[in-house]
Amino acid sequence: MNLISERLDVDDYDEAMELFYQRNWTDGLPIVLPTRRRVEAMIAGAGRDPQESLGPVPPKGGPATVEKLAINAVMGGCLPAHFPVVLAALEALLDPAHNLNGVSQTTHMCVPLVIVNGPIARELGFNSRDGVFGNGYRANAAVGRAVRLALWNLGGAVPWDTDKATLSHPGEYAFCIAEEEEDNPWAPLHVERGCPPGSDAVTVFACEGPHSVFCYGTPEEMLHVLTDSMCGLGNNNMHVMGQMLVVLNPLNAEEFARRGWSKTDVRRYLWEHARRPIEQVRACGVVHEQFRKMERDAGRYPLRYDLDNPTTRIPVSAEPDDIHIVVAGGRSYFAAVLPGWGGFGGFAVTRAIRRA
Amino acid sequence: MEILSPVWPAPGAGGSAPARPRTLAGATIALVDDNLDIPFTTHLEMLLGREHGAAVRRLVKPSGTAPSPRPLIDEAAAAASAAVVGIGL
Repeated sequence: MNLISERLDVDDYDEAMELFYQRNWTDGLPIVLPTRRRVEAMIAGAGRDPQESLGPVPPKGGPATVEKLAINAVMGGCLPAHFPVVLAALEALLDPAHNLNGVSQTTHMCVPLVIVNGPIARELGFNSRDGVFGNGYRANAAVGRAVRLALWNLGGAVPWDTDKATLSHPGEYAFCIAEEEEDNPWAPLHVERGCPPGSDAVTVFACEGPHSVFCYGTPEEMLHVLTDSMCGLGNNNMHVMGQMLVVLNPLNAEEFARRGWSKTDVRRYLWEHARRPIEQVRACGVVHEQFRKMERDAGRYPLRYDLDNPTTRIPVSAEPDDIHIVVAGGRSYFAAVLPGWGGFGGFAVTRAIRRA
Repeated sequence: MEILSPVWPAPGAGGSAPARPRTLAGATIALVDDNLDIPFTTHLEMLLGREHGAAVRRLVKPSGTAPSPRPLIDEAAAAASAAVVGIGL
């Protein structure tokens, strides 16, 4: 196999790990060593040319070749079967619609979340149920970390350098979930976004960490607490719109469906009711106002909201479809809201997973 | 044991950059802004002219969260001997 990466001779694991730490090639955690045998197995499993490039990874522009991505996937703990998911995630991240350059360098805390859909999620053991955003599952952890290591080593998205996140969040180590498709009354995310039913796909969306929502009861009660949780004045959406993710657990979704609510109904209600009076939004300060004005001048903030009318109620997104709804987690009392980066980018992009 | 590097080799030094202006007096400075804080940029423009004798060419990039498009970079390079390429918060 034609591999062109620099080869390093080391005596043992300890020496290799110290070398990776000295060269800042890892995120702070130990790695699986990218031996030639492991890297070749990764590439062979995907059936791709090792020198095929998915494009330059911003901000520093290192080419995302299959070989380099395979090396980082090995480091993150992936098996060859996981690698097509990593490749699809990188393809999605490098779509200009996502604005990875901005996502990786903003002072905001958004991190791209990788959402896996389709039969491959169950086959590879991705968690979509209890503790979905947490630890304990190799597929979520390894794919999530492989993506982050690729952004680190190829994009140079390193804190104190190009990554200017003020606080960031723990998803910078790994941020990957699967949608629960079996215990789910609605069409899954990737089908809503145009993929055929039964196909495999990855969606990336840059967002904050999950905000807990104590969400249980009738549809009206759940919507009451969800809408309030979505329009906090601290999130970017409230000031410059963009997109937002709402994660309902299977029991929430079942209750909505049992009472005749489609996912579109829920989304529409959330968009119409997760709003704040402009006076409350404006009271946040002059900088927020300037961002809003900048976005409006640039044509990215809808003109239909009269910002000078105190009765105007501002939504969290320009359109209902900018609120993404995913079903995941345990059958319990809690949902989650994950605000995005605002109108600046990080928007959801979906790509099919190409199996070998 | 042989392992593979996860990064690309560091790029070599690029082509030679034009000499920096030795003084702001009489120089033209491109001021690339995203219109986030127009009064601040206007004040900076005033100071560059009044205090340092520089001429300012104001340019507005379409997004503060994405790199300037190539034509804007070329315009700044053609019009000025130095540029302020970003004003961040």
